[in-house]
Amino acid sequence: MAAQRQASSASQTPHLSPAELSYLYTSLSLPGTPIRPDGRSPTQFRPLAAETDILPGTNGSARVGFADGTQAIVGVKAEVERTALGIQALSTAEQQDYAAAGNDDRGGGNNGGSKQGSVSGSGQGSWVQMAIEIPGFRDDDALPVFLAEMMREPLVESVSGGGEGGMVGGLKGRLVINRRWHWRLYIDVLLLSQPLSYPLPLLSLTTHLALLATKLPKLKSKGEEDPFFDDDWNAAEYLYPRVKSTKHSSIPGSISVHKVRPPVTLLVVSVAENIIFDPSREEIAVADAVLAISVTYDTDFDRLKLLSIRTIDPPSRLTQPGVPNSENVATLGSTTAAEESVIVNPSTGEEEVPGVWRPRRGGVKRATIAKMIKMVLEKGGVGEEVLDGLEGVEVG
Amino acid sequence: MPLDTSTTYPLTKLRLDGRRWNELRLIHAQISTNPASSGSSYLAMGNTTILCSVHGPAEGRRGDATGGAAGSSGAVVEVDVNIAGFAGIDRKRRAGGSDKQSGRVASTLRSAFQSHLHTYLYPHSTISVHVSVLSADGSLLAAAVNACTLALVDAGIPMPGLLCGCTAGMSGSASTPRDPLNDYLDPLLDVSLPEEQELPFLTVATTTSVPTGADEDEDDMKVAMLTMDSKVHHTYIETMLAVGVDGCKQIREILDGVIKGSSQR
Repeated sequence: MAAQRQASSASQTPHLSPAELSYLYTSLSLPGTPIRPDGRSPTQFRPLAAETDILPGTNGSARVGFADGTQAIVGVKAEVERTALGIQALSTAEQQDYAAAGNDDRGGGNNGGSKQGSVSGSGQGSWVQMAIEIPGFRDDDALPVFLAEMMREPLVESVSGGGEGGMVGGLKGRLVINRRWHWRLYIDVLLLSQPLSYPLPLLSLTTHLALLATKLPKLKSKGEEDPFFDDDWNAAEYLYPRVKSTKHSSIPGSISVHKVRPPVTLLVVSVAENIIFDPSREEIAVADAVLAISVTYDTDFDRLKLLSIRTIDPPSRLTQPGVPNSENVATLGSTTAAEESVIVNPSTGEEEVPGVWRPRRGGVKRATIAKMIKMVLEKGGVGEEVLDGLEGVEVG
Repeated sequence: MPLDTSTTYPLTKLRLDGRRWNELRLIHAQISTNPASSGSSYLAMGNTTILCSVHGPAEGRRGDATGGAAGSSGAVVEVDVNIAGFAGIDRKRRAGGSDKQSGRVASTLRSAFQSHLHTYLYPHSTISVHVSVLSADGSLLAAAVNACTLALVDAGIPMPGLLCGCTAGMSGSASTPRDPLNDYLDPLLDVSLPEEQELPFLTVATTTSVPTGADEDEDDMKVAMLTMDSKVHHTYIETMLAVGVDGCKQIREILDGVIKGSSQR
């Protein structure tokens, strides 16, 4: 376990020789048709099994298991908490009520809320807390903290429109009960096995499902009263409101039961010109760039919306370089060639010898990033495929 | 908030969840739940739910303070207990990654299994056990012992017999000496969380003795682990222990069925 603790931020680098790394890189960078070690197509995900509502003691829970045996369980618990309002916040809240003019979306995200005037709608991102438990890691180790923040950020910052089945002010707005009370959401993520690959996609999909299954008790009190809830759990309302699909038969293309859905974070790597989704550990080890892309479904435009992109430190930077035969003393390569190339250090030299591994030094072309984003966001693209697949999981 | 069992129980002779004094909660168990580990199990005792996975026996990590020398005679058992934040009624988050309860459960499990398993067969190696508590509703240690036993069986680690844990309580504070003529307190088998918070209870784990000869009784049980955190007058201990050991016997049959059932598949 101690060995895993010194893992780089991307994942535990598998112990691969420069020759193996070079072989992997070459097969993954074949123009047009990369050959992946497990035979998947570039956009294909690993098969997974999912179930929701497995823990009766939580507001919502889900379990996802990949075929390689990595499993994650997410439990969501909600607590009512008194909103601590500073004088400044109080005055801005009142301003918002009167002016009904929103601040920028980042700060408030409550344009719709104050227009409707029912609740003073600005929530705070700190009301959503996320904790990740990975065996062999402490809670305050870099990997769990970084992962939690990477998933929490798009979750609280995603803002969606109102309307029927909509969520005014996004998740933050939904947590507001009234001006003095709010819900606090605790999202606890348990990774049940050692992380075989970078666990971000698994944890993100599990959290998505758990949030879809999350229910909050029905509010009986009105307005600014102290909150009082219906004790009938069957009357509880979903955190992410649902609409009956039959009601929406008039609107084409909205078969989905959830109009607003939590974001998902996808892990994408680039190898040379190729874009590869849901990479395994070996694939991350040779990647040029590793990106975590968070997307959500935009109800206003009926398409996917990009929420955030984060680059993740690729472990290929830390690998050992290979030594070309021409420079290797052990192979007794032609001495003349060795003398010629002695000026060029193999690890820093610009020339790329085919079949010899050179650690990636980071950096990615703008065109590649644009291609990655396009592949995620486009109609019928990977993002839509993932969200549709998750829709297939029966919730509740 | 625990309801007052001690006042209602003498009247109804039924416990809070409707059980009689000698009834176990429903036990549901599975083994080989996680293909990524050497052995794994899922165990639900009533509303207490535990997942357990075993890695090893594998080469111990280097540079460990106890490494080399400690493992030279036999395998070292490492136990890591993680009580999920959502396990209880209120969500609890402890600072720094461990709290008192999970630490105690882990050290009790470690010492119980270190002496129980045939560790001498695997010198210089480590058996690491990871216990995740998904939902805690009393008898946590007993359920963890049972889950670990199942996972270790699944991992194929040799042991003399199944180690089965169970709790036994007393229906009342039991702080005065027991009166044999007017004995109104009943022992309770397999206490749940409200009972555990209010009544004295002990956790006992038993195993079968190693079969050495034909003259020995098959049902001969040995107490392998016994812990008690609450106060009780010593005259009640014997009754509680007898009930607990009897509960272990019932649990052994259930676990036996789970193991045999999964090997037939």
